Amino acid sequence: MIELSLMFQIDWLEVKEVLFSLNEGFIKSLEIFVLTLLGAVPLGLVIAFGSMSGIGIVRWFNKFLVWVIRGTPLMLQLLIIYYGPGIILGNNWWGSGATGRFIAAMIAFILNYACYFSEIYRGGIEGIPKGQYEAGEVLGMTKSQIFFKVVLLQVIKRIIPPMGNEIITLVKDTSLVRVIAVYELMWNGQDFIKSEGIIWPMFFTGIYYLLFSGLLTLFLGWLEKKMDYFKV
Amino acid sequence: MAILEVKNLKKNFGELEVLKGIDFSIEKGDVMAVIGSSGNGKTTLLRCINFLETPDAGEIIVNGETLFDAEKKQSTSEENIRKKRLHFGLVFQNFNLFPQYTVLGNVMLAKELLEKERPDYRKNKKQIKAEIEAEAKKLLDDVGLSDKLDYYPHQLSGGQQQRVAIARALALKPDILCFDEPTSALDPELTAEVLKVIKSLAESKMTMIVVTHEMSFAKDVANKIIFMDEGKILEEGTPEDIFENPKNQRVKEFIGGIATI
Repeated sequence: MIELSLMFQIDWLEVKEVLFSLNEGFIKSLEIFVLTLLGAVPLGLVIAFGSMSGIGIVRWFNKFLVWVIRGTPLMLQLLIIYYGPGIILGNNWWGSGATGRFIAAMIAFILNYACYFSEIYRGGIEGIPKGQYEAGEVLGMTKSQIFFKVVLLQVIKRIIPPMGNEIITLVKDTSLVRVIAVYELMWNGQDFIKSEGIIWPMFFTGIYYLLFSGLLTLFLGWLEKKMDYFKV
Repeated sequence: MAILEVKNLKKNFGELEVLKGIDFSIEKGDVMAVIGSSGNGKTTLLRCINFLETPDAGEIIVNGETLFDAEKKQSTSEENIRKKRLHFGLVFQNFNLFPQYTVLGNVMLAKELLEKERPDYRKNKKQIKAEIEAEAKKLLDDVGLSDKLDYYPHQLSGGQQQRVAIARALALKPDILCFDEPTSALDPELTAEVLKVIKSLAESKMTMIVVTHEMSFAKDVANKIIFMDEGKILEEGTPEDIFENPKNQRVKEFIGGIATI
């Protein structure tokens, strides 16, 4: 009886320590998430326009890039971007500190997600009927007016569901940065297995991911509803 | 002087000759119907006139000003093409309204963007906007949609959408308004309401070119008809000429074929 109650005795000091560590890891994961979106959303548009360019070499370069990035694991890209310069070029751009590892991780993530986003944008832009452009043209609108005033909002409405998918995936992909020792949420959770021999912090990280992706799902649903006033 | 002259207009898509030398001219206030079976270049002709396609040969002259001459090097600057386009309006077969704007917004958008380029826009913004809005409301009233100003296109019937499209084209005060089979996507009842609007425009002396399969409409409303076949004009004349006394054998067959139905 005493033993049992000891087993379920909650060690509040330990809980405090774990939550502190997980929160710290979560902040790092959140940083990766936000910075990836800030970089990849606009870069994706550049790559999308590149892969629709009338100039052959620009189009092929962008299509090649998208093929390579989408065709290989993000984890491999992380490893190559982090270790590549040092081992292949004999010059480790990233230095030895945490900042260098973080920057390398961000470059890999932004490039990877920009390529996925670019394909979503391209699909969205190419899905707009030609008649929308022509209606703008015969009304004397310029190309940029047609894009910004007519096409863009229709594209945004079309791409919200597939972008939502990618964004939810990104939440969980942030855990990959651990391969180059960026200490994010899951790393910190797993650390307690080695250091304290307890596994619950590891399971607990799942709750963080669930809550965060849950909030995002609610936000995306709200956004979709906001755009319900017109049909494309 | 003719408001529009088209001379020897030719257009190829690759090997396919779609227009093989089209000549016609219309006067201010004319309503010209372009008839003939599908796939014979009628739509391409309208698209060339509206600068959605670049003709391979020929000239387009509006009010004596040569807007297009295939012999001369064209200015391809966007500014220039826009200016030329504004002589014309085009109403599409499938309306092509902008889905994210209300009925009123659809009619106002292009005019607003155009007026923004006025040097005094910033100063008189409020007044200019109010004028555009009043003008748009008047146009929508003319096409019988004053009770639908705040509706979105998907909330309207096809006939209502097409009437919005007509008001939208009129908002830029084109010299010549073109219609590309404006009622082909509509059922007979909705067709009637759109044709009524076009007819009232004809009565107010709007210059129009209408590509249509509505023969009774062409007969009643147009004062000039051209019959196109395989990229050429086979016959042109008044509705009486074409419908009562067609000279060309192909035109005779076409008109006869319709009459027997």
